[in-house]
Amino acid sequence: MIDKIMIAFKSIGKNKNRNFLTMLGIIIGIACVIAILAVGDGFTKTMTKGMGTHNDKGRVTISFEASSYDDVTSGFTKNDISTLERVSGVGHVKLDSSNTAATAKIQYKTKQESTDLNKAPKHLKLYKGVGTTIDKSDMSNIFISHDLASRIFKGESALNKPLIIEGNVFIVRGIYKVSDFNYRPDIYVSKDVFKQLFANQITKNIARIYVQPNVNKKAVGKRAVKQMKKFGEDKQMGSYSVSNPDQISKTFTKMMNYITYFVALVAGISLLIAGIGVMNVMYITVSERRKEIGIRRAFGATSNDIRSQFLIESVVLCVIGGLIGIIFGYVLVAIINAFLPFKAIVTGYSLAISLSVSTAVGLIFGFIPSNKAAQSPLVGLLKEE
Amino acid sequence: MLKISNVGKSYGQFKVLQDIDLEVADGEFLAIMGPSGSGKSTLINILGLLDQDYTGEYLLNDKSYKDTSDNFLSRIRGDQLGFVFQNFKLLTTYNVYENIEIPLVYSKTEQHNKLERVEAVIEQVGLAGKEKSRPSELSGGQQQRVAIARAIVNRPKLIIADEPTGALDTKTSKEIMDIFTKLNQAGTTIIMVTHDEEVAQYAMRTVYIRDGKLYHDAKDVFKND
Ligand SMILES: Nc1ncnc2c1ncn2[C@@H]1O[C@H](COP(=O)(O)OP(=O)(O)OP(=O)(O)O)[C@@H](O)[C@H]1O
Ligand SMILES: [Mg+2]
Repeated sequence: MIDKIMIAFKSIGKNKNRNFLTMLGIIIGIACVIAILAVGDGFTKTMTKGMGTHNDKGRVTISFEASSYDDVTSGFTKNDISTLERVSGVGHVKLDSSNTAATAKIQYKTKQESTDLNKAPKHLKLYKGVGTTIDKSDMSNIFISHDLASRIFKGESALNKPLIIEGNVFIVRGIYKVSDFNYRPDIYVSKDVFKQLFANQITKNIARIYVQPNVNKKAVGKRAVKQMKKFGEDKQMGSYSVSNPDQISKTFTKMMNYITYFVALVAGISLLIAGIGVMNVMYITVSERRKEIGIRRAFGATSNDIRSQFLIESVVLCVIGGLIGIIFGYVLVAIINAFLPFKAIVTGYSLAISLSVSTAVGLIFGFIPSNKAAQSPLVGLLKEE
Repeated sequence: MLKISNVGKSYGQFKVLQDIDLEVADGEFLAIMGPSGSGKSTLINILGLLDQDYTGEYLLNDKSYKDTSDNFLSRIRGDQLGFVFQNFKLLTTYNVYENIEIPLVYSKTEQHNKLERVEAVIEQVGLAGKEKSRPSELSGGQQQRVAIARAIVNRPKLIIADEPTGALDTKTSKEIMDIFTKLNQAGTTIIMVTHDEEVAQYAMRTVYIRDGKLYHDAKDVFKND
């Protein structure tokens, strides 16, 4: 077997240019397969990681959805916590918010608008201005986004300009840029300012229930929702339900399926074209080497030996193409990662798929030419020069 | 060694060989002579089990291979026969060593035995030091030596040679025939096709083919004209 593979390498080496052109199709096809599988795998990993926090053991989440879109005040209350903690099986309850920002009316000279706003993060990279954060108790300084700055201040520099938020005057001390993939509000204020003026806006619309050990959390969730529908303080303003991570994974699976179909299509087309190229080059090889086939047959090669020689050659050609394709795939993934909000990853599984696919292309498209080589009548072959 | 009786072969209406009877004993050195197109290569292709499409009977070592599978024929060719073809038939992209090695690949010879065997026959045909050369870097005589080395590397009982000196000058022809004579003296049966009276002198016996018919005596060849 090893010497047969060596013969294959040798024969391929004899016609480097032609064989490289043939491999090109496989290289592109496999690089695509690697890249798209990596995107799929990276996506899956990011999503399941995100779902993991939802899905924590011993915890069930109940959410409140207000009936009116404008309603920014109703949700779970302190009394609701007590109600929930009396439900059997419940350990303790924590409230949380799914809203990431408050909304506020702002004004500069005669320009007014409504934007979203939050407390400044611990570290923020400024595009203009100095510093990275706003002190907890700072009552006058704010950071605003580059977008907002160009909307409100037009051509002027926004730095050190006053901005009125809900009737209070603040000074713009920094401007930051917002990337397409990372949500940020248009204004950051200090923690204390946010607490005093806007905290009431961040309604507690999520209740995380930590269930007691060895209790069916699904049943606890159901009972808790029932209780809230009866006794919830804001029950008139909206509805309660158990957040179901399975719901997310269903839409996600659907999406992944579309991606998979797309992979199959792109990979299938490029590999089909590549396969036809391989078949063509194998036909040429076989007819160019009729003399060689005749000589080998005369000196003891069976037609099976000849068939396997050309099949191995076709497979080796495709696997070399596949390996180069994998390398290009890595490059492609690195390029894609520069544009993706999550990280595409090449897994061992996708490498295995790529190599099996290259082998299969070699076997399938090398089969007919190899058979032709094996079945040519000997006397004719030996007349070949 | 072999015996054919009443062997014939046609391409459509054209009879290339008719009523051939021939017996070759173990250890014999037989020359086959005849004009171009008379059917010499056709006959030895049948003798070499390269062509199974003939009528009549052919026994090689008292066995008929007429209905043998293609795979089994390949094994017999590899194990018992050695061919030296018209125009050398070397693989131009392989070097001397690799060309000679080919029969050993299919006789499943162990790697270390291979090296030994190939080196031994290279020595035997007087090509020591040329292992890495390509056929294009060799003279005609040297190329024919490679072809002979390839034919004998599997130690066949029968060597079939088609015009082994056809492309060579007189001096080189003599050197090649000396190799054949030595092989024959060592016990190998040889059947050789040639155009050349002088070359045929090396054989123990000569038969003649003309228009597809075999004659055992030169006197008979033109009798029917
Ligand atoms: N495939 C074929 N189809 C038809 N006729 C063929 C075929 N092969 C050979 N012949 C004919 O058979 C005859 C014998 O051919 P063969 O090759 O045996 O001649 P030869 O005696 O070896 O000649 P040379 O000395 O030139 O090698 C020739 O007349 C040739 O035209
Ligand atoms: Mg001939």
